[in-house]
Amino acid sequence: MAEKKLYGYCDPWTVKQGETLSFMISAEGTDTVDARLVRLVHGDEHPDGPGFLEEEIDCDIPVTLNVQRQFTQIGAHAVVEDVSRRLVPAGDFTVYGFVFPTRPGGSRQAILSKWDIMSGKGYGIGINTEGRLEFWVGNGELIDHVTAEVPLRPRAWYFVAATFNAATLEARLYQIGVVNRYNSLLGLVVPIDYDSRVAETFRVMPQAPDESVPFLWAGASEENDRRGRFVGMLYSGKIDRPGILNTALPPEAIAALAQGELPSTDAIIAHWDTSAGYTDRGIGDVITDVGPHGLDALGVNRPVRGMTGWNWAGREDSFRLDPKQYGGIAFRDDALTDCRWSPTVTLRIPNDLRSGVYALRLRAGESEDHIPFFVRAATPRAPLAVLMSTFTYLAYANERLGFDAPIAQAITAHTPIFSEADIDFYKLQEFGLSTYDHHSDGSGCCYSSWRRPIINMRPRHRNAATGVTWGLPADLSLLWWLQHAGYDFEILTDHDLHAEGAAALRPYRAVINCTHPEYYSERMMDGTEDYLRAGGRLIYAGGNGYYWVSGLREDEPHCMEVRKLDNGSRAWQADPGEAYLVSTGERSGLWRSRGRAPQKLVGVGFTSEGMDESQPFERMPDSFHRLIAWMFEGIGDREEIGNFGLGLGGAAGIEIDRYDLALGTPPHTLLVASSHGHSDNYPLVSEEITYAFPGRGGTQDPLVRADMTYFTTGSNGACLSIGSIAWSQALPVRGGDNNVATIMRNVLTAFLRPGPLPGSEFVGDEKLWR
Amino acid sequence: MMRADKPAASYAKVGRRPDEVTLKPDGGQLWHRWRPPFSRRHWLAWRGRYNPKSLQRERLLVDKRPLWWTLGLGGLLIAVPFLSDQFVNIAAIFCIFAAINVIWTLIVGAAGIFSLATMAVVGLSAYAAAAANVYLGLPWPLMMPVGAAVGLIFGLLLALPSTRLDGLYYALLTLGIAEICRVSISQIKALAPSNSSINGVASFIPSAWHLQRPGLLLGFAGAFVLLLCALLVFRLVNTERLGLLLQTAREDEAFAEAVGIDYRRARWLVFVLASSALGAIGAFYAMFYRSISLAVFSLDQLLLLFAMIVIGGLGRSEGAVLGTAIVVLIDKGLIGLGPLRIIIVTAVMIIVALTAREGLTGIKAQFQAFRNRKKSERRAARTEKGGEVMPEEATEISDKQLIYRRLFDKRLRDALKSSITPDLIAEHRAKPLGQHSDALDRLLNYFRREEMPDKYAILRVGPLRSCSYRVMALSGRAGHPPRLVDDKLYPTLDEAYHAVFLLRINDLLAS
Repeated sequence: MAEKKLYGYCDPWTVKQGETLSFMISAEGTDTVDARLVRLVHGDEHPDGPGFLEEEIDCDIPVTLNVQRQFTQIGAHAVVEDVSRRLVPAGDFTVYGFVFPTRPGGSRQAILSKWDIMSGKGYGIGINTEGRLEFWVGNGELIDHVTAEVPLRPRAWYFVAATFNAATLEARLYQIGVVNRYNSLLGLVVPIDYDSRVAETFRVMPQAPDESVPFLWAGASEENDRRGRFVGMLYSGKIDRPGILNTALPPEAIAALAQGELPSTDAIIAHWDTSAGYTDRGIGDVITDVGPHGLDALGVNRPVRGMTGWNWAGREDSFRLDPKQYGGIAFRDDALTDCRWSPTVTLRIPNDLRSGVYALRLRAGESEDHIPFFVRAATPRAPLAVLMSTFTYLAYANERLGFDAPIAQAITAHTPIFSEADIDFYKLQEFGLSTYDHHSDGSGCCYSSWRRPIINMRPRHRNAATGVTWGLPADLSLLWWLQHAGYDFEILTDHDLHAEGAAALRPYRAVINCTHPEYYSERMMDGTEDYLRAGGRLIYAGGNGYYWVSGLREDEPHCMEVRKLDNGSRAWQADPGEAYLVSTGERSGLWRSRGRAPQKLVGVGFTSEGMDESQPFERMPDSFHRLIAWMFEGIGDREEIGNFGLGLGGAAGIEIDRYDLALGTPPHTLLVASSHGHSDNYPLVSEEITYAFPGRGGTQDPLVRADMTYFTTGSNGACLSIGSIAWSQALPVRGGDNNVATIMRNVLTAFLRPGPLPGSEFVGDEKLWR
Repeated sequence: MMRADKPAASYAKVGRRPDEVTLKPDGGQLWHRWRPPFSRRHWLAWRGRYNPKSLQRERLLVDKRPLWWTLGLGGLLIAVPFLSDQFVNIAAIFCIFAAINVIWTLIVGAAGIFSLATMAVVGLSAYAAAAANVYLGLPWPLMMPVGAAVGLIFGLLLALPSTRLDGLYYALLTLGIAEICRVSISQIKALAPSNSSINGVASFIPSAWHLQRPGLLLGFAGAFVLLLCALLVFRLVNTERLGLLLQTAREDEAFAEAVGIDYRRARWLVFVLASSALGAIGAFYAMFYRSISLAVFSLDQLLLLFAMIVIGGLGRSEGAVLGTAIVVLIDKGLIGLGPLRIIIVTAVMIIVALTAREGLTGIKAQFQAFRNRKKSERRAARTEKGGEVMPEEATEISDKQLIYRRLFDKRLRDALKSSITPDLIAEHRAKPLGQHSDALDRLLNYFRREEMPDKYAILRVGPLRSCSYRVMALSGRAGHPPRLVDDKLYPTLDEAYHAVFLLRINDLLAS
């Protein structure tokens, strides 16, 4: 384990020449780091390739940076600043809300609190270590609790309330089950009495904590000498429509609240209507207080909004259909969407810095970290653009399937290979999850952000579960080869495509994808489609692309959202009724399930994955048609294409795609090459399986294969799809001169030349003698 | 047909009726929880739960000691008026000794100071209070404060060496002090002219009632109140802040010190407080007997007290009281047996010491531990045979699917074991990844699907191009790093894959 620890991130990820970005760095064990701007040239250290390559670039960043430890607040919660301390009533009060705890017990959790853990002042309603609802008050000297009689059941909706009578010091705690046929884990057949009503006379009144202590949802305020104020006692679960009243409500009034009635207006200090402010384009982080003081709550680390509420009746399956049934906000105690570190240094990208993938390299003693970012051209000049899959990088950011997922080894047919850095990082558990991981309460992680250190976005990083480079470190192989082969190219990112649509692609004669463009927003789909339609030329040289419906909130590009639904190769599955993206208001899941299978756009779509070994492509008869035969110039008729590669020894593998007319592959598409001989560790993907039967692995099922397809679009446009992650990773083998590279050269030569595509005149009816 | 791999033993039926009375509360009803004044505790330790079998909600009294105390002490209170004079007296003596023992328990159990000067404090205070009454004319209601003050001062003196001397040495020292007290007092003729005892001490029992039934009943009543006071002191010290500090110190002194608990001061405070309480009891003792003699310092008396604590169980108030009841009953109730009584007390003490680790009041916990041990032994024996879940074990597994998994796993493992051949191992060595024979594929699939805890993984040491590999086992717990399995280094990844495979084969064959 390294004694000096360096972690950092930058914001934004993607900048144009002349723009500025900030680097946030945290260091332990050292006060200074050596910083150097580098261009990332190659990221995979596989002995068959060129190895790790970077170029140092002179820039105006100081060589030595002063750094310090920066702290990260994990856990989704919401903050009501409440500087006027209205939320600690001097007299009687009632605090209430609907809750759906997902992990009661184990650690103390605060659901709603104006509570200073350090001084013991204020009050809170939460869950104790035994999983029982608790209401507590403290005056700085003494703390009093009242605890519900029975533990909370996980994943059940309750109405909870606590009343406090300042004259008698009597506190009453109410826990009332509001489980219906749909809204909870268990149904009505279970003979459980969820309710509990307990009264107890306290010794103390709550005393208002310091002004700096906010009113918190899903946590309580804590303080530390080095760190300052932060949030502890994090809660896992949903909260729906809570509030605070200036009276100790009698039992009948509590019962009315538990039915969903609103409290009387003059009693309200604050009542947050969690279902207010919904639009069909999504929901923000502000939770509206409909009370007289407008004490809105602000979500931190993206509490998931628009979730099924206590009164969800099952018929409406989106927050857009009836917001009133979707007042649930889900809080997870390990959620992280923004480290909120202070910038250590900023960099203005020099105007002459050519477009590419760069990183700020930090070094202190033995420790090294790279903080990568993407520089695109302020004015596009090159004919070719490489589209970096920043959405997919986010989706996989900090994934830890190798450590946590019991099925990972069975999927990959691999024993995971960890580095010491992986283990150090895993021990931290501080920098959030990927959309492949589960939160501590078992729910899937639907948000991933770049405002945090991301270990698997570093060059040289190898994915433990699959044993290969994944994402950015793998994609650098393509960039290295393009540079090596002498192509003039610029880079774009998914985020640019999302922001500008087809306009981002249009300046380029051809666009080439990276290994795994899996996560696509609607605008990215539209942009790609429009580009192709208007004569653009796309090389989709990747596997499992255009797959998940994902989205960004307007003006918050750092955080991507996805919901894994009932279909597809999914690391988790969203709960019923929670299928819609809060960022955009659209249904998530597979694009295929929304009428836009990848085949419709690029001719091929996901069919299988396996991480044991990759195979070569073989030419198919269509490759001898003059429409496309130019692409195989220099390739033998029966030559294996790519029986080598950094990605498990072949050009066809890891995740592979297939041509399928039934899924919308354009009817004039040519199937020019396919792979054979995949092992049974390449099973047919689950979205293809209606009835399950044996024999869906690579040795028995003809659907398990990677296809290379080609079709033309209007205005001299064309799309070549090579449905395999491993393709680009075969390029660097043998010094970049191999038959995969030959095909790439042939295609690029054709695609980068303006005017009609070669072979495009051979569209006559066939009159064959042979 | 019974399957061959099922154990031949028949299954015993499990399931029993509840052995505890529980309330069946209605969640719709408001439940008032009452507390003693100034406390955050409740009078009774109720606990609500869902019955795991029926999901019906139940309210159990978790700590039944208040019930036993009420029954025991209440029963005594009701019974005494119907007892003979002799037994009324015995009941009173029981209350006094029980009070002394309860306080002594505080010193020995809570503070962890092994002092044998208990009776010396009681005696000295008794002498002081008696002398103040007889010679200085102090009215009897003030005797107890005087006794308490003397106990406090004596306690302070005794406390001085307690932090310097350890266990046995301190016990011997206090024993010596008790003897010094006895000898000293026997030599102060001015204090106790007749036979070293002071007689004619005033009392809360009118002198006309002395040794009469009303007097005996009043004496008992006084002693009973004394016992209640002693129990209150015990409770306040032992379960409030001071007691909690000391409990931490008992569990781990170094830890207590590290978190800033000044346990030496706490011990000292408890010792001095308890000594003062013993002083008050001493004054009561003198009043009760209307005299005080050197017998109070005798070693016999001390050892009898010691027997009471040992029999009842050290460190608990209920132990002190129960032990006292038994010994007092033997010693005073069977007075006709003469010296044989002492032998009986000794025999009881030896039997209890040999069989019950924590005295009589610790028997329940000891029995439960014993039953659990036996249960584990039996289960371990059965697991070796069949590897499947017996009905009694199934009662403890809430996810019933796990029961099936274990059975399935056992049968699958048996089938896989028979497929392992040298050829199979050679096949893997030749090509760890990729398509394998059906037999090897099945085996690998089984390995890859195992649960996360202790699942094997590979550690890459050093940069990729010059690295070697080691085998690790994952923790299965988020944030907990894997552990290295051994110190072997593998130069190539294929060798590491194969090493993992061999470890897994080994585990499978050993299971």
